[in-house]
Amino acid sequence: MRFDLDETTAAHVEVLRQFGRDVIRPLGIERDRAGSPTPPDHPFFREVLKRGLTRAPDRADGGAGGPGPAVLRVITGNELAYWDRGVSSSLPGPGLGGGPVMSMGTPEQRARLMTRFRDMTEPKWAAFAMTEPGAGSDVARIQSRAVRDGDEWVLNGAKLYSANADRADWIVVFATVDPSLGRAGHRAFIVERGMPGLSEPKPEKKMGIKAYASASFTMNDLRVPADNLLGGEAHYEARSRGAGFKGAMQTFNATRPAIAANAVGMARACLDEAAAFARDAGAAGHRCHDRLERMRRKARAAWLMCLKAAWLADQGAPNMVEASMSKATAAEVAMEAASLGMELLGAVGAQGEHLIEKLYRDVKAMDIVEGTGQIQRIVMARHLVGYPRDA
Amino acid sequence: MIDFGIGEDETLLRDAVERFARDALAPQARVAEANRAPDLATIALYESLGLMGLEFADGGLGMQARCLVNQILGGADPGAALALDRLGHAGYALWALDGSEGVAAVTDNPHRRAWLATPEDGAVNITERHASGVLHFAPAGVTDLVVVSAGGVALIRDGIESTPVRGGGLKAMNPVRIGLDAAPVARFRRLPVAPLLARARLYLASLLLGVLDTAGSYARDYAQQRVAFGKPIAHHQALAFLLTDMHTAVTGARLLIQDAAWRADAGLDAAEAAATAFTETVEQSSFIGPNAVQVLGGLGFMQDYPVEKYMRESRLLGLLLGGADQAREEAAQSRDMTLMAGGVL
Repeated sequence: MRFDLDETTAAHVEVLRQFGRDVIRPLGIERDRAGSPTPPDHPFFREVLKRGLTRAPDRADGGAGGPGPAVLRVITGNELAYWDRGVSSSLPGPGLGGGPVMSMGTPEQRARLMTRFRDMTEPKWAAFAMTEPGAGSDVARIQSRAVRDGDEWVLNGAKLYSANADRADWIVVFATVDPSLGRAGHRAFIVERGMPGLSEPKPEKKMGIKAYASASFTMNDLRVPADNLLGGEAHYEARSRGAGFKGAMQTFNATRPAIAANAVGMARACLDEAAAFARDAGAAGHRCHDRLERMRRKARAAWLMCLKAAWLADQGAPNMVEASMSKATAAEVAMEAASLGMELLGAVGAQGEHLIEKLYRDVKAMDIVEGTGQIQRIVMARHLVGYPRDA
Repeated sequence: MIDFGIGEDETLLRDAVERFARDALAPQARVAEANRAPDLATIALYESLGLMGLEFADGGLGMQARCLVNQILGGADPGAALALDRLGHAGYALWALDGSEGVAAVTDNPHRRAWLATPEDGAVNITERHASGVLHFAPAGVTDLVVVSAGGVALIRDGIESTPVRGGGLKAMNPVRIGLDAAPVARFRRLPVAPLLARARLYLASLLLGVLDTAGSYARDYAQQRVAFGKPIAHHQALAFLLTDMHTAVTGARLLIQDAAWRADAGLDAAEAAATAFTETVEQSSFIGPNAVQVLGGLGFMQDYPVEKYMRESRLLGLLLGGADQAREEAAQSRDMTLMAGGVL
């Protein structure tokens, strides 16, 4: 058992740190003040690609001794979110859409959809759309309909809060062939930009993490070629129950530790800002120190949970409980750290000028996106005490 | 490298200790509590396992192995675990004073028993020559008392007066109050005490973790059997969430202990990490212990079930070495709070 970083990974973190301090945080503050996402043609994105920040670090040793992809993802996510979680979520790439394509897609679909993200010279995005106006936590109850019509599928419905959908080349959209079938009726489709019937995804007005778009869109008789059914018919025939839903859940199991790592990074930012403010204001007394110690301790525990969940994923081991635990814990820690920071700021926090005030608004999302803390506990309870699905 | 796996040696060790805990220690826990001592057969079996001072042996397995062992033993009976390990958490101070000879003086002599305390465990005045005062809670039969203070490490071998106390728990170690009346200090060294205190805290924290893990598991198993309002109580959301939170609390404490133990074994400064791990484990004992009883309701309050023992003993373990307050203070002061910027924690 060991918990250190190899030189290559440490150097990678250092690169992120410098870029974060010089570019990411100032951009995050700028977009927060502007109240809108970073435009897709912003020079920031080209700079990100030029520096290779969306790629894993090149390893002279070919990868030996370095962390696996999931661990590297949480390390990167922790550091990027420290500087600005909204900006880090806006980075070019397949985003949440990549998971289901890689886990459910046919070889042809994987090649067609994912190749464009290798060695990007122009920023490109993809997205994932599950949430609907009437189906948030209970994603099995989505109402968007998919009806087969010859060589096409016809989609109708509305989707909410799809990250970067406003600029995505394609979106993984979940719809149902029959709502009465529950999860068994789910199908995942690749909806491509410009398809007739797809409305222009509209960024929502949010309380925080404003640097990336959480976009909503509708599908009105949107016709999708049968080839865009993710995994093809064979995938659903072979797994007659819950294949589409399981595909989505596999995505979440892989991404929950990464989201949790984001929250840990934000908790660290809150702590650093709070400690610095307390020190500068001459308020670093005994009680203040104790409370900062508590938050640092909780943040460290949450960070180790992220690493454990990611490490298990890299081992190919089940990580459902650990992934949910890390997500539930880290989000609460981040919220508590931000709230403590606001308390230390006092009325200064009310002015809306301090970074902690922004972080206080930003971090709340972490306990909501990709499964609320309550949903994470239900997932854990199913595994730990056999909590029934229909309870 | 991030690696949560354990090696072959640790796996073998774990399996052997689990067998001992399951077959010998746990079944006798109530008997040992009543008799204020483990039975002779258990003592003999423990001595044969060679667990005492395992972290000091040539090519020793280190703190990670110690924490693994203690977690298992603590989960079976922490009082007996403290009684059986005559070296205990004093080993790190004895090593700092006299190296392997200091440790072997206890491990090789079945009539010797070491104990480590800080002045905050009572009221003790130490000079380089004498020690006076009282320590409120220690096992009976201490022959090598080590008192660690900011000034250094003092070893006391004579003038240790023990008075039995009833004990709120950990009775298998036969708790006593120790009085010192100008007791001669056999050895005194001014040395940095943070490294040895870090290890001593990990020793206790891992015992405590074992109790909490067992308490949580017991409550979880019970809640799946006990039916109320037509279904297992674990399937009512209030309790389901409580049980998952208890599991999360144990996991967080375990990870902090593992991280700190790795730091100690890697030769890094582990003082802050160990104080943090100790503080977290103690803090969670106040959550897990009482809630394990709560899950069992009235049955949990009765001595027919083990959870009341878990609740009492987990709280007592967290009072040693100055308790969580002392550890928290050291963790809070150990470094500039802003050092977390720009790197993993």
